[in-house]
This record gives sequence, C-alpha cells and structure tokens, in this order.
Amino acid sequence: MNGEIETQINLKPSEMLLHLGPQHPLQPGPFLLDLVLEGETVKDATLEMGFIHKGIEKILENRTYLQCIPITDRMCYLASISNNEVFCSGVESLMGIEPTERAKYIRTIMLELTRIQSHLLGIGEYATDIGFLSMFLWMIREREPIISLLEMVTGARLNHSFVRFGGVAYDLPAGFKEKTLRTLNEIRKKVEKHDEIMSRDSVYLKRTKGVGVLSRKAAMELGVAGPAMRGSGVDYDIRKVDPYLLYPDLDFKVITAPNGDVFDRVKVRLSEILESIYIIEQCIDMIPGGPFKQGYNPYLIKPKPGEVYSRVEDPRGEMGMYIVSDGTFKPYRVKVRGPAFATMQALPPLLKGAYMADNAAIASSMDSCTSEVDR
Amino acid sequence: MNTTGELTLNMLKEKFQVTEMRVESPNRVWARIAPDKILAIAKFLSNELEFDHLSSIAGADYGEALEAVYQITAYSHGIVLTLKAKVPKSNPVIDSLTPVYWNAAWYEREAYELLGISFRGNPNLAPLVLPAEMMGEYPLRKDYKGYPNPT
Repeated sequence: MNGEIETQINLKPSEMLLHLGPQHPLQPGPFLLDLVLEGETVKDATLEMGFIHKGIEKILENRTYLQCIPITDRMCYLASISNNEVFCSGVESLMGIEPTERAKYIRTIMLELTRIQSHLLGIGEYATDIGFLSMFLWMIREREPIISLLEMVTGARLNHSFVRFGGVAYDLPAGFKEKTLRTLNEIRKKVEKHDEIMSRDSVYLKRTKGVGVLSRKAAMELGVAGPAMRGSGVDYDIRKVDPYLLYPDLDFKVITAPNGDVFDRVKVRLSEILESIYIIEQCIDMIPGGPFKQGYNPYLIKPKPGEVYSRVEDPRGEMGMYIVSDGTFKPYRVKVRGPAFATMQALPPLLKGAYMADNAAIASSMDSCTSEVDR
Repeated sequence: MNTTGELTLNMLKEKFQVTEMRVESPNRVWARIAPDKILAIAKFLSNELEFDHLSSIAGADYGEALEAVYQITAYSHGIVLTLKAKVPKSNPVIDSLTPVYWNAAWYEREAYELLGISFRGNPNLAPLVLPAEMMGEYPLRKDYKGYPNPT
C-alpha cells in the first residue's frame, strides 16, 4: 500500500491510468487495481492491498489456543469452518491427539457444506460482475438452505467457531440427516440446471470462452490456488495430495477443466458442488456413534514446544497454517497461507493484455477474498 | 522421480552440508540451513527434485535473530519441506527466491514489512499491506508496542 503509483510509472502519451477501487459496489472487500490502458487493452496492472488489514497473526499470538478459534473465523467468513479446521488440526498434531471418529465425520460434512455455500456465493458474485443478475439471485436462493443446515448444527450462519481440539463443539441435532439429504437432492437438481444454462447461453459463452486464459504451465508457475488452478488442468487438491480427516477413504474425483479460461474456472466450481454433495452423501450414512470430542479441558490447552505446518483444502484452494508453540498457553507465532492471497497475486499478470471490458469477468472468476488477503 | 522426505534430506545433507534436520512425519520434514545457501538449495529442489511449488514464506522473531521459514512442496506429492534460515536482527538480509519461485514476491514483501527481513533481489520490495508511514515499525516483532501510540 504505497499510494503514489502515478509518480512511479511514466505513461506514454497514448496510455492512460485507470483506478478501479478501492471502493466498488461489486467488490466484497476493498482493494485498488491500477490499470495502465492503451486504447482498450490493459498494458500493465498493479494491485494495492491492505485497506482492511486486521493483524490477525499478531492477535493470535496474544490469545489462548481456545480464544484463537473465533479469530480464525474472521479471516474469511465464507470459509470459517476451513479456517477453524486448519488451526485446530495444526494444534492437534502439536498436542499429538486425533479427533474422535464421530468428530471426523461431522467435520468432513461441515467442510463440504462450507465448500458448497462458498462456491455458490462465488459464482453468484461473479455472475453479477458480468451482468447476469438472475444467476446471482438463483445462487443466493440455493445457498440459503445450506446456510440453514450449517446453522442447525453450529448455531451460527457465517462465523461458526465450530471445530475444537480433538472434536467439534456440538453434536449433530436430531433430524439432520433427513434434512440434509432432502436439501442436497434439491440443490443437485438446481445446480445441474444452472450448469446447463451456463453451458448453452450464447451470450454467456461469448463473454467467457477463451477469455483470461491461464495456461497449465503459467498456473503452476504463478502458484494460483484451488478452482483457478484446477480450471487450468492441474489436478492439485490437498484432499488428494496431502489427505486429512476422512478424505483418504472417500471416493471422489478432483474436478479439472482443460482450457484455463473464465468459463472453465466457473465450470469447475459448479462441478465441485456436485462432487461435494456426493461426498456428504457417502459420509452421512456411515456416521459412527461415540463421543464427538476428546475429553480435554479446552481452557488448558498447552502443546509442547514445537512447530507444525498444517494444510487443508479451503473452498478457494490450499490453506496452510504454520504454528509455533513455545510450550505456553498461547501460540508463539502463527502464519497463515491463504489461498486468496496466492490467487490475488497472480491477477496482475493475468490481466495484462486483456480487454478492459473483460476485466470484471477475469477478476471475479478468480473468486478472491480481500478479507483473507489482508488478514 | 519419486522423492520421500528422508531421501530429500539426505540429498541436502550431502550437497549442502545441512546439519540440523528432522523427519516429523512422512509428509513433513524440516532442515535448518545457512542463509547464504537458500537460493542454491531452492534451485536444486525445483530443478532436480520435484519441489515445484512454494507454499509460503513465514518469518518469526526469536530475540537476537529473525528466522525466515520456507514451506516448499510440490503439485504432485504431499511432502512439505520446511527450510529455516536464521538471520541476525542487526543485518537481516537474505536472498530472494523470486528467480526460482515467482510467487515468492508477495510473501517476501509481507515478511519484509511485518518483520523487517530484507530480501535481496526481490524486484519490488515495497510495503504490501501496511501504509508507507508504518514502514520500520515491524508489527510482528515481539518488541512492537503499537502504532502510532504505544498503548
């Protein structure tokens, strides 16, 4: 965030500088995108971040392990259970414990529900950006029952603070299984229908096919995360590469698409919703009985000195957390590696050479989250 | 080439005289390296072994020294190799990894403004998330008291 971009670049007479942001009605969080334009073509792009920097890494150093869990929610409200999971699984391996078998099932189901609702909102926001407002409203309509399911278990709609060390905060309520299966069934039908609309609408195809192409090689080099990476044909998914919880035993595919354009990135998200529904349906029939958390006093968590790097597959991609414990009640250092950070970093090179009109489509097809970049 | 964590560590040991290393679990290994060897090691890892993905760069404050912590992994396997390099707080300079891993740029900028580790060779080592006037405050250091008022 240095603010004086005009003085840093020398514009040619045929070029102009355009500021997009930091406040823009379509953006969920503020960031400033400076574009150097020549005619309609983007010559250069610069991102400025930090308008909502919250200092979460510093805050976590000053909280006990239990108090850290609600703070990790606030990194990105769309992925709060993933954020809980990456922190708690890290602390669990520092303590040398494992979640109970029942808790593993509950956590896997909750993670997949989070993925579904995040992808639905991600596609919705992207649809508004390209002027497809009905798709946004449909997506919000589809997302609501998922949020209700999450609320039914965790008691909160967005910031759940649900995962605990060695388990979860609450057990599943009565009737959860029936309601989930019913809801997922409906959502599957609707998502399939939206998929069909999106792959047949000629205006939509013109806006998205072949736009903002990120080749397989470039995606790996730029290190983008999640659906943006898989949309370029790289089958990189932490659930397969570095499995955690139940994922080694589950049957699911890593969704990829070959072309790396805007269309493919969104297509990957839509197909991942269907895959997540399939994962939940596998788990929900097999939930074992038993305790849903280990009998630790969460107020007295004190891992032995050491450090860990834990990774999970957030809805947006690879989420990592590096936790250093010095043997006290508070973590010594926590570093978050967010997927949105990695994806956002790759945006300026991707925008170079694109048309100004395609900007919104390209930028929002990456589905980044400013709040998480500016932890 | 299929590399297991232990094999990688042994290769590093032979080639770069790394002394302190440990296998935490099959997928997590770490090694402490001399700060002046980081670029050579990263080149070796990405060119000769399959470590083609930099997951993150963290910094940590340990009183007299700052530590740069690199999590290097790959798209094809789940082994995370953690490289740790201590630099003295009086002269915290270390080579940038941007020639090897493009995405190191922002992680280095973040470690630079929040902890004051300076990365030699980074093409644009400007503050990323902090305002320009907070440069030099280094909020993630343990002796940080608050800005603008130490409250």
